[in-house]
Amino acid sequence: MDQTIPIIQIRNCLLVSIQTELHDRLALDLQESLMERVRLTDAKGVILDVSAVEVIDSYITRILNDIGKSVRFMGAECYIVGIRPAVAMTLIEMGVELDSVNTALTLDLALEKLELLQS
Amino acid sequence: MKTVESEIGAILAGTISAITQRSIFNRLGPLATTPVSQLTSADRLTVMTELENSVRLFARRNSAELIASCARALGSDVPAGSGSPSSSNGAAASSSGKPAEAPAVTKRLPIEQEKDIATARLEAWSESVRIGLSKFTSVKVATAVSELARNIVFYAGKGTVELRAVRDDRGAGLQITAIDQGPGIDSKKLQEIWGGTYKSQRGMGKGLVAVKKLVDEFNLDTAPGRGTTVTCVFRGER
Repeated sequence: MDQTIPIIQIRNCLLVSIQTELHDRLALDLQESLMERVRLTDAKGVILDVSAVEVIDSYITRILNDIGKSVRFMGAECYIVGIRPAVAMTLIEMGVELDSVNTALTLDLALEKLELLQS
Repeated sequence: MKTVESEIGAILAGTISAITQRSIFNRLGPLATTPVSQLTSADRLTVMTELENSVRLFARRNSAELIASCARALGSDVPAGSGSPSSSNGAAASSSGKPAEAPAVTKRLPIEQEKDIATARLEAWSESVRIGLSKFTSVKVATAVSELARNIVFYAGKGTVELRAVRDDRGAGLQITAIDQGPGIDSKKLQEIWGGTYKSQRGMGKGLVAVKKLVDEFNLDTAPGRGTTVTCVFRGER
């Protein structure tokens, strides 16, 4: 099963909309290709839309944190948008932190915040 | 040709996301691609029971209307659960909001590779909804199963996740049992795990702790060389 998650560039922002079950291999591939794209495009921000993801467990959280950290290392900012209420509640109860990424309710708000950062 | 997938897909479009629809049709298996005209009444019940559970869970509004449209498209006048005795368990239980006397149905899910983790959490989710646990609890169920299945794949290689509907003096609930014959966990490592200092190479070393925090009842049975069995229960109301 050869699946990849498309990375879209809008101005100096990279946008990833995750529309599929985020299984482990896919998440790791995404991390790799995202790093490469940040380097190639000189992106200032990376936005991951997870509004279609119904389950985020501690391992996926770790990968999201890792993506956030590496994006930050490269001088860009990472935003996770659209975390579902039930997912947020579950992460809190599990005591899992999503602390290496920024979050925003919607894509719009994330873009707004990134623009503020750049001005 | 009008297949179950094409007909139902047209009705659900715009209300239920494509990814969710995909998982619904995957669960239906070969029934999804069966022409509507060739469905037996037993097939229709299977399809409708699955649809009822999923639509109620995922549709933001008009779930009753959607279910009725699906039933019409499949050529059955009555939605599942209103007549035939074989459908009364799942469908009737979820429609009243509280589970009726649920039988202890067991699902046994083999876990051997990464893709089984995703399958296991979807199965756990639909089982949780079927026995009448809330949306939020069902997400927790799916997350816990994801953690346990991942531990199996990472540390033991292969194992099994079993789901049981339980009903006792503490009410209705879903019991999850994750069994493997892997290396087991020694007492030193266990101390590190519960103390929060354990860091595994691949995971966060936090899976078990996370599951314990999520569930209402938790039991861990493990020893080096004897494998690991985790049993936990989610209850309907806290």
